[in-house]
Amino acid sequence: MSRSVLVSVAAALVVFVLIWQAVVVISGFPPFILPPPAQVVTRLLTAWSAGIIQPHLWATLVEVALGFAVGAGSAVLVGYALARSALVERLVSPYLVAAQATPILALAPLIALWFGPGLVGKVLICSLIVFFPVAIATMVGIRAVDARLLELGRSLRATRRQILLTLEIPAALPSILGGMRVGVTLAVVGAIVGEWAGAERGLGVLINLARGSLFDIPLMFATLLTIALVGIALYLVVVLVERRLVGAR
Amino acid sequence: MTRTSGTIRVDGVDLSFPVRGGGRLPVLDAMSLEVADGGIVALIGPNGCGKSTLLRAIAGLLEPDRGTITLDGAPITGPDPRIGLVFQEPRLLPWRSAADNITYPLELAGWSPERRATRLAELADLVALDPGVTGNRPAELSGGTRQRVALARALALEPEVLLLDEPFSALDALSRERFDLELLRLWERAATTIVFVTHSIAEAIFVADRIVVISPRPGCVVADLPVELARPRSLDDLDAAVVSSTARDVRRHLGDTAAAA
Repeated sequence: MSRSVLVSVAAALVVFVLIWQAVVVISGFPPFILPPPAQVVTRLLTAWSAGIIQPHLWATLVEVALGFAVGAGSAVLVGYALARSALVERLVSPYLVAAQATPILALAPLIALWFGPGLVGKVLICSLIVFFPVAIATMVGIRAVDARLLELGRSLRATRRQILLTLEIPAALPSILGGMRVGVTLAVVGAIVGEWAGAERGLGVLINLARGSLFDIPLMFATLLTIALVGIALYLVVVLVERRLVGAR
Repeated sequence: MTRTSGTIRVDGVDLSFPVRGGGRLPVLDAMSLEVADGGIVALIGPNGCGKSTLLRAIAGLLEPDRGTITLDGAPITGPDPRIGLVFQEPRLLPWRSAADNITYPLELAGWSPERRATRLAELADLVALDPGVTGNRPAELSGGTRQRVALARALALEPEVLLLDEPFSALDALSRERFDLELLRLWERAATTIVFVTHSIAEAIFVADRIVVISPRPGCVVADLPVELARPRSLDDLDAAVVSSTARDVRRHLGDTAAAA
């Protein structure tokens, strides 16, 4: 990252913190409604050094990683089938859209009921929320593959598998990874929603604890900050993978 | 390099495309043409007359409705490794380097990396590709270099026949003349049979042994004109009297076909 970009990012962060502090000062909200940024950062550091956040963070990360892998992996397969088969599109699209239109918040309790408070239910919720954007991005990306490149492949006697691996997937990769950028941040949302529906550990559980029995609003904000940082970090991982795989074309 | 060339015979080929709303659009009508082993034939005709379609049919990418196309007597029923095709635009894979684009057909054919590297060096030499750019992606190459890469890719499997669909049309006039000259040098070394589509009468005369004039759609051969220009050729030959007379003949036939249309 260039120096000017780093300076811009730091400046944006400073502005955000200043606005937050200004709202606290002007509104006069007490810390249990809106704690000032310094108190949240201090609480984050104390909670981290006391080992409060790490087990919850780890649980959420595992759910996100597995949910994203399952959701994005299956979405790429289904997205390809949607792009290349009119029959599959006709049969599957209505269910896809219906699943996307149903709020994950409404589905989460049902999934928790069926699969219990363990990992499987959370992974399923993450997968469901990741699936749609990645499947649609894959479908759009595969459909947009230049027909002239496919003709080139045919003229070189490429097999169906070779066309898929050496032409279609590389050509559609920017679109697929664009869907994954959206998907990976949604995976974090899915994990938190899944934890709210029933879990013993996770950042979503920690928020509930901080808001409820602990009534530690700075800890709740510190957890929210952690969730935001996880989202940003995962998004950046996808961006780095995209730069590595797609690069300058 | 071994001389590898083949004879193409197009015999009574009809070809049509389905159109929206039903029916078919005839593109080639009783097209017949023979290109002898090691010869160079230029196809010339008005826009949409089916020149590129004919090239694709010879490449095995389109199946004729009627008639046959053979290479050395054997029918062409699909894409054939003995036939190399250079498209109007380079069609390079933007995510691959120039070198990886050139060796792409070899990779598909299952060649080992060592064999591919050896063949890459031969091909870069054959098309006079600057070794300094082989690691660059297509976006980093000039238009002419991209077309060189496309030409090298088409020659990768040592085809007997090279089909060129207006390969230098996107280049400026000076670059185009230089590429025509290089194409002739390449033909002398690789000695493939060449069929190429062009809109330029001068280019057709300079490069080809014969110029086949095609009628407006549905395309058929209206004239098959020999080019009486000695080989090896140089750009100075474009000033020869025979060039003017051949050009006049080609124009007359093109004019006749336009009037008939």
